[in-house]
Amino acid sequence: MRLDIRYRCRFDYDQPVRESQNELRAAPAPHDRQSLISYRVATSPPARVLTFEDYWGTRVDAFGVRDSHTHLEVVAESSVETRPQPLLTASPRVERLADPAFLDEHVEYLQRTAHTAWGPTIEAEARQQAGLVGPDVVSVVLALHRRVATTFTYRPGATYVGMDVEELCTRREGVCQDYAHVMIAMCRSLGIPARYVSGYLFTADDSTGDIPEGEMVEVQTHAWVEAAVPGHGWIALDPTNQQEVGERHVKIGHGRDYDDVQPLRGVFAGSATCELDVSVEIRKGTVTAAPAPTPRPHRQAQQAQQQQ
Amino acid sequence: MGQDLFDGYATDGFYDELLTADGEVRPHYRALYDKLATFSHEELARRERLRDAAFRSAGITFTVYGEEEGVERTFPMDLLPRIIPADEWAHIEAGLVQRVTALNRFLDDLYLGERAVLHDNVVPRWLLTSSAGFCRQAFGVPVPHGAHCLVAGIDLVRDADGTYRVLEDNLRNPSGISYVLENRAAMTRVLPVVFGQSRVRPVDHYGASLLRALRHVAPPAAGDPTVVVLTPGVYNSAYFEHAFLARQMGVELVEGRDLVIDEHVVYMRTTRGLQRVDVIYRRIDDDFLDPVVFRQDSMLGVPGLMAAARAGNVTVANAVGNGVADDKAVYAFVPELIRYYLGEEPILPNVETYLLWDADQRAGVLDRLGELVVKPVAESGGYGMLIGPAATDAEIAEFRARIEADPRNYIAQEVVSLSRHPTLIDDHLEGRHIDLRPFVLTGERVEVIPGGLTRVALRRGSLVVNSSQGGGSKDTWVLAGEGQPLEPAEEAAS
Repeated sequence: MRLDIRYRCRFDYDQPVRESQNELRAAPAPHDRQSLISYRVATSPPARVLTFEDYWGTRVDAFGVRDSHTHLEVVAESSVETRPQPLLTASPRVERLADPAFLDEHVEYLQRTAHTAWGPTIEAEARQQAGLVGPDVVSVVLALHRRVATTFTYRPGATYVGMDVEELCTRREGVCQDYAHVMIAMCRSLGIPARYVSGYLFTADDSTGDIPEGEMVEVQTHAWVEAAVPGHGWIALDPTNQQEVGERHVKIGHGRDYDDVQPLRGVFAGSATCELDVSVEIRKGTVTAAPAPTPRPHRQAQQAQQQQ
Repeated sequence: MGQDLFDGYATDGFYDELLTADGEVRPHYRALYDKLATFSHEELARRERLRDAAFRSAGITFTVYGEEEGVERTFPMDLLPRIIPADEWAHIEAGLVQRVTALNRFLDDLYLGERAVLHDNVVPRWLLTSSAGFCRQAFGVPVPHGAHCLVAGIDLVRDADGTYRVLEDNLRNPSGISYVLENRAAMTRVLPVVFGQSRVRPVDHYGASLLRALRHVAPPAAGDPTVVVLTPGVYNSAYFEHAFLARQMGVELVEGRDLVIDEHVVYMRTTRGLQRVDVIYRRIDDDFLDPVVFRQDSMLGVPGLMAAARAGNVTVANAVGNGVADDKAVYAFVPELIRYYLGEEPILPNVETYLLWDADQRAGVLDRLGELVVKPVAESGGYGMLIGPAATDAEIAEFRARIEADPRNYIAQEVVSLSRHPTLIDDHLEGRHIDLRPFVLTGERVEVIPGGLTRVALRRGSLVVNSSQGGGSKDTWVLAGEGQPLEPAEEAAS
């Protein structure tokens, strides 16, 4: 599926700020189910953009605005060609998770992190769910996915970035990144490597699956989960929408948790309060062939979190 | 009378730096020993007053020293220097150059290279990716000349048979060099005659050597590079050393707020406007260096610094991410890294170390915790350690539980029977355990400052030399060999 995406993030400050420094992670990553056709990024005020690929393989655009400014806007436009996830035929038994070579490769997706530091509640729930299905990794992952998808309520504003994952699990409500962190924590508590994926989801008229070409829909950035299956690779699941990740999911990148793939992360000097506006527009395009000593500044953090 | 000083002195079966097992004075201590033999108690007291006056006039007001990397607070200097003869030093120096060269190669391979060390299974991949010091933000950030460990502090101990062994590597922000220089300055006033007769190799070129190394690692495009020292500020307990080093090098001491970044170039705010900065000798930990990529709540660092370094517009030294190489579990692999990168046998051995994630090694360790030392892998400064022979049953039980809960986070080592050195305790000498932290610079070549910081465990019988545990220090004299000039060749030439 050919998708054209326009990500726009705008900060408006109520008084001038200076020395803003930011990192943007908004470019779809090329991988086996997704080709990046084009990508460009522009900022206002204009800034020199340093582009690099980070440890996780995500494209990063770093830019700063030193002079006084009252707004900061960044627009990232991309075109991608997505393909559906292949059908999963493997069903390795859970014992294979302990294979030394598998562990060696995946250890960083098995540890607790700031957003996935599970405790006894999550582990007990994960064990209980795993006990209901056969002892193969895929069944367990699907059980955890279903559990989170069906027992959590989508409610923006009910949680905040940095809330303890055990508390999230108790509240059973939140936004996509909360669903993802809880499911990741459950997987890891059972020794299943799991990672956080940041991306875009094309959600036009999901009920029919029938989208006219050229139709523009307004969405937001999204987050989902990939879990590692021994002998197969990663399977991608979207617990917020209780579905497997498919052609409408556009992946930006992955990491251990939200902090590794935060869409926009930065700081500025000044004591202004800022208003944040993030928008993502996606249009289904025509199918193409797949191509290739002064006063201490009062610093504030700014971020555009995943919201859907 | 002088004999009084050594009255009742016993080596107690330990390796003594001054006396042989037969009670003979080692030749390189003869001049010092003979001088001490002439000292009355009054003379000794006078020398102590001289020492105290020397430190006061240097304006040294150490309070509690930083938790980072082992040096915690004032190290009262003992009147007796530690003396290392030329041949012993040549061995140490060669071993340190070899070790730091291999560590630099390892860090370059990991963060900027092909990660051959992983493909060739020299170190398990998971061991590195699970290290708290493995810094993903450092990937692809250029490090000119591969000088990751621009300043390294390698802690050495001497065991029962006098063999020098590496106890730990400090590759992030090793501190303590200011004590080395201040101790030397004081000692030349306390024992001027013995010092003058002894052909002691100087240490006071450290500032010049450090500056030369920092200028060497400047971005290639920088013509006449501007170097600064970046400190967390006056409230940092190591601030004295930061200011001291800036003064020694004749460069600006700055805080994060003094620097600003424009289009990925670093500038220093001065009264005459902005001045470009090419090399930053930072004494701020990785986590606080740049809030855009590390801790967002840090007010100490410079926003955008990592992007500027990545763009190749500034060099940050020590390089970011060195913590993975001084992780105490990775330490156990350093001898293998030396063989792998250099094709040489390690000159300085490690202390026998057990890796506790390995079920067999763990079982062996848990059975004899009372005989071993257990350390957390990312701590330094003697914190969070278990010293088995001195521990209570409750402490041992607690460590057993901690190890079983998180075996990756601990290592165990055999207790090293550290060498002892005569040390002035009240009005007489007693043997006290010592170690040695030499400082190694990587610039155009790898250079070791002769000597280093000798730390003394002042409490009788204690093996812990960190000052928080009652440690002191000694001036450390490296003697020039026959026909060897005192000054390094390049200093003599310039």
